[in-house]
Amino acid sequence: MRTPLAFLNLVHEKTRLGVAIAGVAFAVILVFMNLGFLGALSETAAAFYAQFNADLFLISPQALEITTATPFPIERIYQVAGVEGVEDVMPLYVNYIQWRNPETRENRAIFAFGINPDDPTFLLPELQSAQARNSLRRPNTVFFDRLSRPEYGPQETGTRTEADRRDVTIGGQYSLGGGFAADGTIIMSDQNFRRYFNPFPLDQISVGLIKLEEEVDADEARLAVMELLPEDVEVYTKEGIIARDRNYWINATSTGFIFGMGVAVALVVGVVIVYQILYTDISSHMKQYATLKAMGYRSGFLFYTVLQESVILAVLGFIPGFILSMILYQLTLTATSGTLPVVMTLTRFIFVFILTIFMCGISGLISVNKVIQADPAEVF
Amino acid sequence: MTDTEPGAGMNKNSSVAPIPSANGTATAVAEPVAVRIRDLNFFFGQGDLRKQVLYDINLDLPYGQIVIMTGPSGSGKTTLLTLIGALRTVREGSLSVLDQEIVGLGRSQLVDVRRNIGFIFQAHNLFDSLTASKNVEMAIELTEDWQEKRERAVEMLTQLGLSDRVDYKPKSLSGGQKQRVAIARALVNQPPLLLADEPTAALDKKSGRDVVTLMQKLAKEEGRTILMVTHDNRILDVADRIITMVDGRLETDENLAQFVSSHDPKSLDRRMFVM
Repeated sequence: MRTPLAFLNLVHEKTRLGVAIAGVAFAVILVFMNLGFLGALSETAAAFYAQFNADLFLISPQALEITTATPFPIERIYQVAGVEGVEDVMPLYVNYIQWRNPETRENRAIFAFGINPDDPTFLLPELQSAQARNSLRRPNTVFFDRLSRPEYGPQETGTRTEADRRDVTIGGQYSLGGGFAADGTIIMSDQNFRRYFNPFPLDQISVGLIKLEEEVDADEARLAVMELLPEDVEVYTKEGIIARDRNYWINATSTGFIFGMGVAVALVVGVVIVYQILYTDISSHMKQYATLKAMGYRSGFLFYTVLQESVILAVLGFIPGFILSMILYQLTLTATSGTLPVVMTLTRFIFVFILTIFMCGISGLISVNKVIQADPAEVF
Repeated sequence: MTDTEPGAGMNKNSSVAPIPSANGTATAVAEPVAVRIRDLNFFFGQGDLRKQVLYDINLDLPYGQIVIMTGPSGSGKTTLLTLIGALRTVREGSLSVLDQEIVGLGRSQLVDVRRNIGFIFQAHNLFDSLTASKNVEMAIELTEDWQEKRERAVEMLTQLGLSDRVDYKPKSLSGGQKQRVAIARALVNQPPLLLADEPTAALDKKSGRDVVTLMQKLAKEEGRTILMVTHDNRILDVADRIITMVDGRLETDENLAQFVSSHDPKSLDRRMFVM
């Protein structure tokens, strides 16, 4: 076995090794946290789709995401209703409305879902009882999202305020969350929706929800439905539309850029730290490296030694970085009481590990130049 | 003769005839020699800054000879040593090391030549992170001998009297011990040619003496050629031959007896103190 020169050189200088590991670990933590937040945000961005009691979604191709859904004819869902395997079709109306905080009397846009109270549009348990449906049917009555921001004011049942200059009463609550699209949401019946967004034609729907029979495969059904419908609507499975919205929020807004920038900065910091360490290490061993060259070692050997050192630093720094990141993830989860679901995934683990190797490799490649230049004739 | 003669300095004002003389090595017959140098010129720098440091060197080093090279600093001794050691590329003249012409060779080919040469430097240049044995093993690994490298390293260190220091790191070794580890590293692959630059400079008298005696023993027993640059006149007695360089030229080439007589204190020259 070849003498593990790279490893022994690193281990020999305990302090330097400690600093190097801390530096790499620091960069690893920064990367993990940025990716964690990004992942959590992308998770919450379109989380409310999970609460829709549907397998396929019809949406206008012009929609960027759900809040910008352009209305299309309700006939589209009636066309789908006859397809084999389709259990139910439901219309969904969405729009923003000005909600007045009854205490501060300040208006603020809130996101409204309009549904047919007879349809099981949502899986939300609060909406399943006959009593809840009856409340929804009452004029000027809405259900209010508990996860709305506190700026919207009191959420108790019976609270009276105004929405777009029309009286409104809170008839109940549910927990949904507006993701990136909205600070708060309300659910109302289609009749109320028509009234508040007067005149809103109910034959123009924002999203068409299709519930499939249990044994039907969503992807196959989607293809069948797509074939049937004209091009003024697009058909997505639940995963498909979540991915579509998520992609919009992360990539078409600055969200992805901000956290991507965070990752890039962390990597640059890591590269600089590792470079410093490697460079110092090489500088203090210049005579020895030159002696190796005089003995007959080629530059390639020294090249590999430095690259080995950088990979060793990457691995040694990644381990504590990963462990600390797990702890920080847990702390974040606890601190945000679960609303920011930062969780470690295997993909992210592998991705960050490769990124760390890459980061240290870059440092190695930058500093390796010095060792290549070690001139054995200078040692005499 | 003793190893220390207080007045035996290096008198460059020697009256001995110029090279080659005493040993009759520069014969027309091409007998095998470890190093054969013909009309070698060497320059540092390029263009206007080009400065010649070696002029018209002619030198043969037969196998089994211990040659000490001496001369004032800046005379080109070390440069000549690095050229023979294939550590620099040479362009002018002819320089044959171990029957391989190295003038005009590329860097990669020079590395192959170097593998047959042992180097001993003024500083030991050992890796602090490696034990004595591992430092020596680094040299053995060049020969791809993975199985026996440990035994060979230990055996070599034992020959140099370090059997109880095999697994010590340089930090725990004395100066003389470190230099002996460096010598073990240079000798372990049994190179036919050994180049040493001031191997005793960093050592006290006794360690220095031990080191050169060891080198002498190995040279005699195994027929190696040793070329040593030194200012240390305490060790001149190990030499078969002493050559003096002055201002980039070979000034004198004598055997020990001639050298001693020409450097007799009675004919002491003030200029020896220039060194």
